[in-house]
Amino acid sequence: MPLHQGIHASALVRTFGSIRAVSDISLNIAPGTVTGILGPNGSGKSTTLRMLCGLVRPDSGTATVAGAALLGDGTAVRKVSTFAPGEIALYGEMKGGEHLEWLLRGRPQAAIDHSRAIAKQLGLPPDKKVHAYSHGMKRQLLFAAAMGPDVPVRILDEPTEGLDPAKRQEVLDLIAADAKAGNLVLLSSHHLSEVQAVCERLVFFHAGKIIADESPAKLVTRARRTVLIEYMTADEASLAQLVMRREIGEGSSNPTIADCVAADLEVHVTLLADDSRDFLVAFANLDAPASLAITIGRLSLTDLYRTVYGVSGL
Amino acid sequence: MKLSRSVRNSIFMGLGYLIALELMLVAAILFWPNFEENTGALKLLAAPIPMLKDMFAQLEAKGVSAYVLSQHFFKGCNVLGCAVAALIGSAAIAGEAHRGTMEILLMRPLSRRRILMERWLLGGAQITLPIFLTTLTVPLLLTQVDESITLGPLLLCAVHQSLFLLAIYSITFLLSTKGRAPLQIAFGMLVFAIFNFSIYMVKTVTHWSLFRLADMETFLDIYESGSLHTTYTLYFAAAIGACLLASLAVFERRVP
Repeated sequence: MPLHQGIHASALVRTFGSIRAVSDISLNIAPGTVTGILGPNGSGKSTTLRMLCGLVRPDSGTATVAGAALLGDGTAVRKVSTFAPGEIALYGEMKGGEHLEWLLRGRPQAAIDHSRAIAKQLGLPPDKKVHAYSHGMKRQLLFAAAMGPDVPVRILDEPTEGLDPAKRQEVLDLIAADAKAGNLVLLSSHHLSEVQAVCERLVFFHAGKIIADESPAKLVTRARRTVLIEYMTADEASLAQLVMRREIGEGSSNPTIADCVAADLEVHVTLLADDSRDFLVAFANLDAPASLAITIGRLSLTDLYRTVYGVSGL
Repeated sequence: MKLSRSVRNSIFMGLGYLIALELMLVAAILFWPNFEENTGALKLLAAPIPMLKDMFAQLEAKGVSAYVLSQHFFKGCNVLGCAVAALIGSAAIAGEAHRGTMEILLMRPLSRRRILMERWLLGGAQITLPIFLTTLTVPLLLTQVDESITLGPLLLCAVHQSLFLLAIYSITFLLSTKGRAPLQIAFGMLVFAIFNFSIYMVKTVTHWSLFRLADMETFLDIYESGSLHTTYTLYFAAAIGACLLASLAVFERRVP
């Protein structure tokens, strides 16, 4: 992919005091795609997005957005991209339409007209003061401002947060249509199930690092192959036995165990099984004590993310 | 032409400041005949405070010009101007951070230098324009009490006053660029101004007060010589320039 298209970030690092918010992030994103960044709170998603639109300077690393290098205060990057922030704080005393214009200062009139059209499509009242807008309406106003300008890159921080299901779908449809028109959309979300339909690619963040980067289709396949076995232990002695077995299972003798979490008297074991035969082998390898109650189920995508990548908080 | 939100707000606040300054000026000038009549008695009353005594002695000697300079610049513009400079300067950037609107302010395709300079200039105009506009009305107001004054040197005094207030404003602006709590910054600057004004009145420490740079004596020098005070002007210009450069450097790297 040529450097003048898409987003290319290399080894981005940002610390706030003693906290390393983003650690060595590298990303290459092609134009005409929608990429989702997922992760729990504090995983570095928003800081990465803010760095990519020049709002926060990286401590080290380089990036180009649609050919504009991330330098200085990032004005060059913001000229070729738009950003919708995750945190909503607007000027309540302004009217919706007036605020939209304020948000688009420095953009051509066509961008304002297009944003107004999107705001109208979303049902936002332009003559109502923003302080009378609901949380979801304010979110949509920021979204309309980010979708209006004719730029090749849009960076959206949690664009569907706080929206009702119908509006959420409307917003996701607009995003998909924009990508179809050749633009790059990079968005963040807490909700895997929400964005998997619109994203071609999912990048998982945890503790400021990328821990997984794959397509939703691949992720679904992985989910289908993963089996969750739940053991309900009868007493503390058998819990201790299982925990011990887990330690043995994490070694090379039993590679199919992906994770095992023990809490109080419950033990959750996750197996990665490519097919039913593997699953049976894996199950046999567990050699569960007869005193345990066993439940077997398939993982949801969120469960998969939580168990396979060892991340909680989604 | 449609005015932007910040310009509209600035005009609104500037108008309030202009009206307050003008009202103070009108009241002071209309009081002049009474004051002139009672200067001797007032001088006696002020005798226990050496700084006030000196001031009244000068008022008696120089007449209406000293009175106008002390009432309009030393009292009116210094007191109101410092308060307005502290309020406008503190809210300029820290106000946005406090409200949480810093991110939407910075996410537009405008350079931070431009955003900062626009804010500084708007605030500076709000503080200084009312000084010039009210000063322009002085000759007209004086005709109401059968007095006159030369406008040229008076405008030079307005320039000096503006530079003094711009220096105070620029210091506040720098703190605002760095901080997130506008009320604390404004309160701190007001306490600083009050402290400086209080030590101005104490003869043994008066030379430490910032208001020595913009007191009746200084304005009289400018009015009588018909030229700006070079050293003070350089002080003000240096303070304004240094604070503005520091503000730019801080704002360039500020995290929303």
